[in-house]
Amino acid sequence: MREKLDELESLTREYARYSRSAGGLSSVLGGACCLLAYLLGGLLPPTPALRIVLVALPLTWLLARRGMERHYYQRFGHVEEQEGAVERRTHRLCIGAALLVAVSVTVSALSHGARLSMGVVAYLALAWLLVLAGWRWLRSPLDFVVGTFLFCQAAVSCAGFAYPVMGTVAAGLDPPMALLALLFPLAALLLIARGVADHRRFRPLCERLLQLRGKAGAA
Amino acid sequence: MNAPSRIGAVMALDRLVHEPARLLILAVLVNAREVEFGFLEQVSGLSKGNLSSHVGKLEAGGLVEVKKSFRGKRPLTELRITAAGRKALADYRQSLAMVVQELPAPGVAAKRK
Repeated sequence: MREKLDELESLTREYARYSRSAGGLSSVLGGACCLLAYLLGGLLPPTPALRIVLVALPLTWLLARRGMERHYYQRFGHVEEQEGAVERRTHRLCIGAALLVAVSVTVSALSHGARLSMGVVAYLALAWLLVLAGWRWLRSPLDFVVGTFLFCQAAVSCAGFAYPVMGTVAAGLDPPMALLALLFPLAALLLIARGVADHRRFRPLCERLLQLRGKAGAA
Repeated sequence: MNAPSRIGAVMALDRLVHEPARLLILAVLVNAREVEFGFLEQVSGLSKGNLSSHVGKLEAGGLVEVKKSFRGKRPLTELRITAAGRKALADYRQSLAMVVQELPAPGVAAKRK
């Protein structure tokens, strides 16, 4: 009995991870979107088609993440992971930072009398959308970093800019920004590695849960 | 601990938690923030009716909270352990560990006879 309870507790904790901190293949997708946004935004001219692609990337990722969670990783029923005190604090800190940025860019856009063109409105909307997405879906720091980049790249592309890619002419004009932007593809690679590891961990978990159902059926 | 006090300790165990199915439900719930009924059904091996009956008893005892809603047209039942539930499970574990610790080994019990 004791062993069965211990196993159930461990299975529940492991399964619950896929509701928040573990993304599996959706993390791989998020990392790939981040790399794509970094390269496309930095290397291609800012055409309307590119803007649409860059805005679609974070939204596609979030939708795919939600779909994969519901229909694949949490197929036996939703189990929400418990958040530790450290994770809760870190998440609040990330949201606070995103909120501060959203407020400051909004105040800046409105107070300097900038003409509210479509580009500026889209920029502000994406800045606020990041706060919402961060609060609701981007629960781990790595998810938050990658999500932040995806939304920021989409937002700046709406205003006609992009984060510079190392080795390009734009990077030569603003080396500190190019160096800072380099952090995002690195975070994307880490997220991909974590996603692959999580997905590998899910398969034995899924088999064990199916065995439990089999046992129950036989009983 | 002598035999009467051991019996007393066993009798003092929280019966609401002591029942294996309810213990299993609490052990699952204590490791998550919220659990859908379907997952409990999956891991417990209990039938829907049996599981509902045990959940109802735990809810009546204030150890779990049950939230009923709809996802589209599908009814959705989500469960969450309460602070009282966490405490009851922790107390139960502690009491049971003490009882088990005080039990004489089978060989010792046979020699006494």
